[in-house]
Amino acid sequence: MPRSEAMEGSMRAPAFAADIVREWRAGNRSGLARLLVVVLAVVAAATFVTSIMTGAADASLSNVVHWLAGMEGADQAPSVRDRIIILDIRLPRAVLGLLVGAALAVSGVVMQGLFRNPLADPGLVGVSSGASLGAVLLIVLGSSVFGPLFALVGFYALPVAAFFGGLATTLLLYRIATRGGQTSVATMLLAGIALGALTGAVTGVLVFIADDKQLRDLTFWGLGSLAGANWTKILAAAPIILMSLAVVPFLARGLNAITLGEAAAFHMGIPVQRLKNIAILSVAAATGASVAVSGGIGFVGIVVPHLLRLVIGPDHRYLLPASALLGGTMLIFADMLARTIVSPAELPIGIITAFVGAPFFLWILLRGRSNMGL
Amino acid sequence: MIKVSDISVRLAGRQVIHGVSFDAAPSTMTAIVGPNGSGKTTTLKAVSGELSPVSGKVTINGHDLAALRPWQLALKRGVLPQSTIISFPFTVREIVRLGLSASGTVSHSANDRIADDTLEAVDLAGFAGRFYQELSGGEQQRVQLARVLCQISAPVSDGEPRYLLLDEPVSSLDIRHQLTIMRLARQFCERGGGVIAIMHDLNLTAMFADQMVMMRAGRVRASGPPREVLTDETMEAVFGCRMQVNVAPTRDIPFVLPQSVAI
Repeated sequence: MPRSEAMEGSMRAPAFAADIVREWRAGNRSGLARLLVVVLAVVAAATFVTSIMTGAADASLSNVVHWLAGMEGADQAPSVRDRIIILDIRLPRAVLGLLVGAALAVSGVVMQGLFRNPLADPGLVGVSSGASLGAVLLIVLGSSVFGPLFALVGFYALPVAAFFGGLATTLLLYRIATRGGQTSVATMLLAGIALGALTGAVTGVLVFIADDKQLRDLTFWGLGSLAGANWTKILAAAPIILMSLAVVPFLARGLNAITLGEAAAFHMGIPVQRLKNIAILSVAAATGASVAVSGGIGFVGIVVPHLLRLVIGPDHRYLLPASALLGGTMLIFADMLARTIVSPAELPIGIITAFVGAPFFLWILLRGRSNMGL
Repeated sequence: MIKVSDISVRLAGRQVIHGVSFDAAPSTMTAIVGPNGSGKTTTLKAVSGELSPVSGKVTINGHDLAALRPWQLALKRGVLPQSTIISFPFTVREIVRLGLSASGTVSHSANDRIADDTLEAVDLAGFAGRFYQELSGGEQQRVQLARVLCQISAPVSDGEPRYLLLDEPVSSLDIRHQLTIMRLARQFCERGGGVIAIMHDLNLTAMFADQMVMMRAGRVRASGPPREVLTDETMEAVFGCRMQVNVAPTRDIPFVLPQSVAI
């Protein structure tokens, strides 16, 4: 158990810090967790502002802010170029990063809670591929088959299609991997690989039959980055992601109980079937909306919750908000890296998250093998 | 009172429980015994509401189980499963708190006190800050019992008795802690609650239980006080062992030793 020197030292800090440490020693990490959520909120805000200020081109944020606020004090009126860089390129990118990062991290937490396993992640077990398939189906067969749907939901069509793709995959995976309330990790991961391969194959067929215009749409969409961020995409994804984020706090107590098993959760008064339905719907919605606007960005849903569990424990009342904040922060940060390290060119953000995430996944696997029924 | 009336349960298309009936009154400890695969755990699952019988019914304090919502059931009975594997790093206190969150109770400080008292009762004082995954099987089982006792901390609530359903509560414990846990269950009964426990140790059962329900092949073969149920005849009929049941001279409690078997 980690009982670090740093913690000893902070005993001399103000009274509330001493309280937190004493409680933490007694096995109660809720004080620490609440503190961390506040800290993460501040860090998220700071990262958000920093990312708007940094980029390949120079653009003065303060001038734009002053101009927006209608203040006289601005040194000079911002140029149209500055306004476009800040308001139409960097701001939507940061907002989308925050939304998608939060959605991916929270989907990871909910899925891990539901499967009772720290390795469950929408990206790894084929849910993202399913969502992609939904989106590709729409792009390729869209006008001929889904014509009325297009007309009905407009620019929500892509997120909605991705949602149904993700939902179908999640339901299928749950049916395969769970028997009598217990989930087999090996089955889950292997079934996830199979489902991922299957949806990938169908996606491949669709790409094969796509015409030139559709191919251009597919390529543009499938880049898997925040590079294409614009306000239309945000308008399409934000309501769905925000709705999922608003629902999951109500699942916290149930997800806590279900870590002891579905039967134990029922014994503790949780309506298990309803919990599972809502959890699967929110994962599919959040993942689907994310995939629809930013393609597949992997590992956020594994890395973020796992790091947080090491510090504040698995209590979902704190894990969910903390993951949303840290997920958003990490994705904005990764995006900053993606567009600055090879500036003025850009790395796909998925490369950065995979470079960090994949070794991390292996580390969890090796470390926790004995506890995870592998 | 928990009344089990002529229930039959099917699992995976096969009928495993055939017309089981018994009553578990408040202030009494009812032990379900029987050989492996005789339907003890399935019966307990039907009593906890986890499985629905295909016929017959279970009532708890007069309410039909099928009509109660999960949260209502959670206020009337707590359930200790045989073993619980957790893949997330919860501390002992956090696990026990899960039970408190199901009890629908009171203030933060009162909760902390209940958690501490309960941990002490299962002889785990000082374990609150430890990680559940690092404990031994017997310690984990006692943490789970503490969690259940936090959920049902008062044996009587609003004038209604409450119940503990325990699936092999002492199976992985050393002898001292077997006695600790059986005494704890006994105290729960003395304070007005009811206990139904699946037991393998016939001698502990005879010592602590008021009533025994002996099952074989999904049916109740004998039930009543241990002195009437635990006989040479039932040992042979239920367990298929020709064994001699004796009576401890000082305390008038039956006991049976494997040494008495005809090899």
